[in-house]
Amino acid sequence: MFELGTFIFSIVAFLLMFWIVSAVGFKPIAKMLEQRRVHVTSQIEEAEKSREEAERILAEQQRVLEESRKEAKAILEAARVRAEEQARTILQEAQAESARILEDGRALIERERAEAMNEVLSRVANLTVELTTKLLAEHVTAQVQEEMLAKAEKRLGELVC
Amino acid sequence: MPNFPVLFPDTFPINLVVIGTIILTGLVVLIVMRVAVSKMDVRRPRGVQNFVEWAIDFTAGIARDTMPTETAVRFVLPLAFFTLFFLFIANWLGLIMTISVKLGHPIPALGLTAAKLASTKGSVIFFDSPTANMSCALGLAVLVWLISHARGLRHPKLWFRHFFSPSPLGLLEEITNPLTHGMRLFGNIFAGEALLTVMLQAPFALGWIPWTLPLILLWLLYAGFVATVQAYVFSVLLCLYIGNKSFEGHEHHA
Repeated sequence: MFELGTFIFSIVAFLLMFWIVSAVGFKPIAKMLEQRRVHVTSQIEEAEKSREEAERILAEQQRVLEESRKEAKAILEAARVRAEEQARTILQEAQAESARILEDGRALIERERAEAMNEVLSRVANLTVELTTKLLAEHVTAQVQEEMLAKAEKRLGELVC
Repeated sequence: MPNFPVLFPDTFPINLVVIGTIILTGLVVLIVMRVAVSKMDVRRPRGVQNFVEWAIDFTAGIARDTMPTETAVRFVLPLAFFTLFFLFIANWLGLIMTISVKLGHPIPALGLTAAKLASTKGSVIFFDSPTANMSCALGLAVLVWLISHARGLRHPKLWFRHFFSPSPLGLLEEITNPLTHGMRLFGNIFAGEALLTVMLQAPFALGWIPWTLPLILLWLLYAGFVATVQAYVFSVLLCLYIGNKSFEGHEHHA
């Protein structure tokens, strides 16, 4: 049997109960669920952000470490190169110095030899002159002396050369 | 036909048992919700809160399957949730117990005339499922129908056009949908209880063997299953009917 009153008041009663439950029961829970959703979302976002940050920092650290390692290597390399350069320079200088000293010694010897030779020659010449003067003082005329002097000079020239 | 106390039996009959049990069922739902709310915790849900959250999630799943947009889901979720919960309890009420009272004298003010009492040997039902009443079940279905059209009228052009696309047969649906929606619920619940009543009233074999007892237990299980399924079906169809008339999602290709 269709009863109009039951029909209408069922709707009214149902709506009334729905309204009450909705207001005091459903809304707080829906709000809480939304709160939780927001909370979870924000937490996940935050975690993602911190992970990114950590990764970034780690990469940075690695980069710095790599850089310093490279730098250390470069410094070491530079030091080695400089040391080699220095060693080579020192060696070259030493060689040059020794060569110079040798050259100086040779020159000195040569000069002294030449000096000694000159002295000997002048001494011989003087002696010859003296001897000749003594010998010729008695025997030789001025003309003979001239001839002999020329001969002696010629001989001396050969001797020197 | 069983007798119910009815207000204004001749002019505007209101079944008092139906209205009373609707309010009672609503109060049960309210109490469960209040228990869930009172110990509510965002981080660590416990007990009733878990159950209610699961039920809301379940309803949201139904709504998302049938609604075009998330706004429509949010609109229908409280109603769908309350309907599911309400019908689940309401359908079970008549299975848990039906109270009938034997009246010695007629009360004409409540529609309990002498002739009517005589047809049921004086017994009057004072407690039953509200959904086992056709008027109530149809009322709920028509309420859903009204809400769906109210929502459809937010886009009057589309709402008007949808009656005639793909064919004017859509108009027929406007009558058959609420009718089947309500009658399905009423028929299932009423049949379950009617058969239960018949079996309970069957005489014992040889005067003392309760031969209907296994049948009653079996039928009770089945009727319980049906009561649960019907609550679910009614809520799904509620979402579907309201979803069909929520035109927000169709705007861009309308």
